[in-house]
Amino acid sequence: MAEALLELENIVAGYHNQPVLKGVSLDVAEGSVVMVIGPNGHGKTTLLRCVSGLVSLSSGGIRLAGTRIDGKRADRIVSDGVIHIPQSDLPFQDMSVIDNLMMGAYLTRARADIRRNIEEVFDLLPRLAERRGQTASTLSGGERRMLAIGRGLMAGGRILLVDEPSLGLAPIVIEQIYGILTDLKANGRTILLVEESAARATEIADRVHLLDDGRMIWSGMPADLLKRPEILETYLGG
Amino acid sequence: MSGWKRDLPIGLVVLAALIAAPAFGLPRFWITTVTVFFIWATVVSQWNLVFGVAGIFSLAQMAIFAIGGYTTAMMGLYLEWSLWLALPVSGLLAVVFGAVVGLACLRLTGAYVALLTLAIAYILFLLIVTDTDCVYYEGTVCRSLTEGWKGLGRYGDYGFRDLFGRDFHLGNYGLALAVLTLATLFSFAIVRSPMGLAFRALRDNPGYAVSRGVSRFKYQLLVFALSAFFTGLAGSVYAGVFSVIGPNVLQLGLLLFLLSMMVVGGVGRPWGPLIGAALLMLVDETLKEEAFAGYRNIGLGLILAAVVVLLPQGLAGGIDNLARRLARRGGGAPGE
Amino acid sequence: MDTAVQIVVSGLTLGAMYAVGTIGLSLVWGALRMLNMAHGVLIAIGGYFSYQAIDGWGLPMPVALLVAMLAGAAMGALIYFCAARFMFRNEAFENNIFIVTFGLAIALENGILKVFGGYPLAQPFSLDGGFRIGGVYVPWQNVLIVVVSVAVMVVMAQFLAKTRMGRAIRATAQNRDAALLMGVPIGAVFAQVLAIAGSLAALSGVLLSSITTLSPQVGFDPMLKAFIICVIAGLGNVIGALYAAFAMGLFEAAIQFFLGVRFALPLMLLIVIAALIWRPYGVFGKKQVTRL
Repeated sequence: MAEALLELENIVAGYHNQPVLKGVSLDVAEGSVVMVIGPNGHGKTTLLRCVSGLVSLSSGGIRLAGTRIDGKRADRIVSDGVIHIPQSDLPFQDMSVIDNLMMGAYLTRARADIRRNIEEVFDLLPRLAERRGQTASTLSGGERRMLAIGRGLMAGGRILLVDEPSLGLAPIVIEQIYGILTDLKANGRTILLVEESAARATEIADRVHLLDDGRMIWSGMPADLLKRPEILETYLGG
Repeated sequence: MSGWKRDLPIGLVVLAALIAAPAFGLPRFWITTVTVFFIWATVVSQWNLVFGVAGIFSLAQMAIFAIGGYTTAMMGLYLEWSLWLALPVSGLLAVVFGAVVGLACLRLTGAYVALLTLAIAYILFLLIVTDTDCVYYEGTVCRSLTEGWKGLGRYGDYGFRDLFGRDFHLGNYGLALAVLTLATLFSFAIVRSPMGLAFRALRDNPGYAVSRGVSRFKYQLLVFALSAFFTGLAGSVYAGVFSVIGPNVLQLGLLLFLLSMMVVGGVGRPWGPLIGAALLMLVDETLKEEAFAGYRNIGLGLILAAVVVLLPQGLAGGIDNLARRLARRGGGAPGE
Repeated sequence: MDTAVQIVVSGLTLGAMYAVGTIGLSLVWGALRMLNMAHGVLIAIGGYFSYQAIDGWGLPMPVALLVAMLAGAAMGALIYFCAARFMFRNEAFENNIFIVTFGLAIALENGILKVFGGYPLAQPFSLDGGFRIGGVYVPWQNVLIVVVSVAVMVVMAQFLAKTRMGRAIRATAQNRDAALLMGVPIGAVFAQVLAIAGSLAALSGVLLSSITTLSPQVGFDPMLKAFIICVIAGLGNVIGALYAAFAMGLFEAAIQFFLGVRFALPLMLLIVIAALIWRPYGVFGKKQVTRL
């Protein structure tokens, strides 16, 4: 097993002194896709916000390639290579698609690199190339999600944190989004993925964790998940 | 409630000291200064209800004060009423004005409220200082309704000159103290009432409070109107004590001075306005000294800015925190 | 006909100055959710630095304008580093920063009073002479004001649209968290925005004082007007603010002509009150959904 790129060690965090995460540990190995599933309001988004520095920890630690990153400023964590693709409507609404992508490359200084990155993103997400001049708020839900992913890819980075990419999308669009994520995995990207349902776990994840009320209640291989009917019943809504 | 158990004795001691002070030979200059303190503390205590407790960032407080003062002056001058009669009328007119301002602000939040109320106060100021249309002539001298920059005078006083002769300033002192005492009792009662709790809920978590059926509309209007009453009374007392009222009460410098009292004392804390007003009056008297000539407003402005940055809870908040820390160190003092 | 020309000429001049002053205020609100009450004193600082540079140090006019803008930028940055930096994460920021900048404004205004005295001074940044359109005399100074303002607005528009810093400012204004997740150091962005707003306020102060006079309170009325314009446009809406600025300039020129100077500002303030009650989020503004 490869050395872990991202390590979460027993983290406790929350808002207004009320812990949402009550001691969560997690490893993400280089080049792997790790999925955290769990019901809404049980800390999945908070988990990602802790890693990217938007929420500070009350205890525990987060390491990227062996170096502590908790307590750092969010923009510094980004420049360390942690790219957080947030939920739903977070593209910059009043900016064009291309300006959104340029924002993704904020930390990239060389124009040639930016241009090459944009070409790569347009190859992966041709829909964005068609819409390049359009204002983000006029995009459809699926296109916005693609824009958010594209914007995240612009930054390069070492690990992608993806927050509920299927939230609120039609099944056919979810299919497309997961196609993209699978491509990314094939390219060797490291991804920490958060979802409400376990439906997609087997096709993409190397490892699955169940987060319930701020604690990890089960961890293992996606295949093992299928052998646990009681978990499937709870989290697949079966 | 434990709050009253602590605050009532402190309040009574302070009140007794203030009543006794003139008898113990407080110099005339200080009696006048403390009278001014009473008036400003009254205004700030009511402003604190609007801003600190109800969370409405209104800057119309001095406009309400001016309405009270000008009402008293005009009734004395044009209707030749006794100021004692004009006093409650001034309070009530201030309530009407406050309610109108409150209505205008209700759909707005934060900075928009500040802008709107500042605009209202400034309109009043501009209309008064540019008021030169003659309403009557005294000989050949043209008199306008509000007398513009000069302000209104010669409308009489609260009659303490006839009553006490040379010691008339003691009457002013007593009247201002009485109004402050009532205003302070009122503000304590509001803070400790179910309405005060509702406000705290609204301020700390607007969404939750509204979803639990706490009506922002009703309470905000109520607090605007009620606090305007004592503010109007304070304006009326001011007019009577100084025998002149002019647009200077609407100037930004004074608004800043009173805002500083509230902020330095501690926004939303019932004792804050009294502590802040007393301290700022002292600072102001010091800065008025020859040695600091011209630095008064520079000093006040910097103090205000520094307190908000460094001590956002104000002095009252700082004292509370200190007391709590001491109590904890004392190994769980009784009553905590 | 001459009346109309007269109103258009002075309306455009006023509108151009208001526009320059308002962009900064609007940018600051957009990026930081901060009403800068020191805006008025920044206007005065610009006017006085230009006065000092030309009459005191003998510098040529374009250099003096630059000096004034640099002074404004430095003051703006100072507001960030001395105050806003410690406060913007706090929930009560919107109210607290209002009070802090209010305090700084009074202190600075009285500082100017201390250094330059309270007598009105004549702004030396001005051109003599003029030309005629029909029966209306148009001073070159008005032309200068419009030209400088329009040039600055074009530069600002390009800066915001095309540069990396401009994009980061827009992104921060639209979504602070998302901008952080792109690696934008938002503290630095806030400092930049305040510096830019300071230099624009200083520039508008030079222009404003050139057709009136220079006094420590010179910036207060223009600040209120800038607020009015922002509110009508919807706070933070920069493009809307430009339209509103010119509309306001023409409107003010017309009121001054038909009703007299006395009612210009009170009427404008009444309009803003009516506008706020009618549309609390600005005439061109969008309602923002507040998260609970």
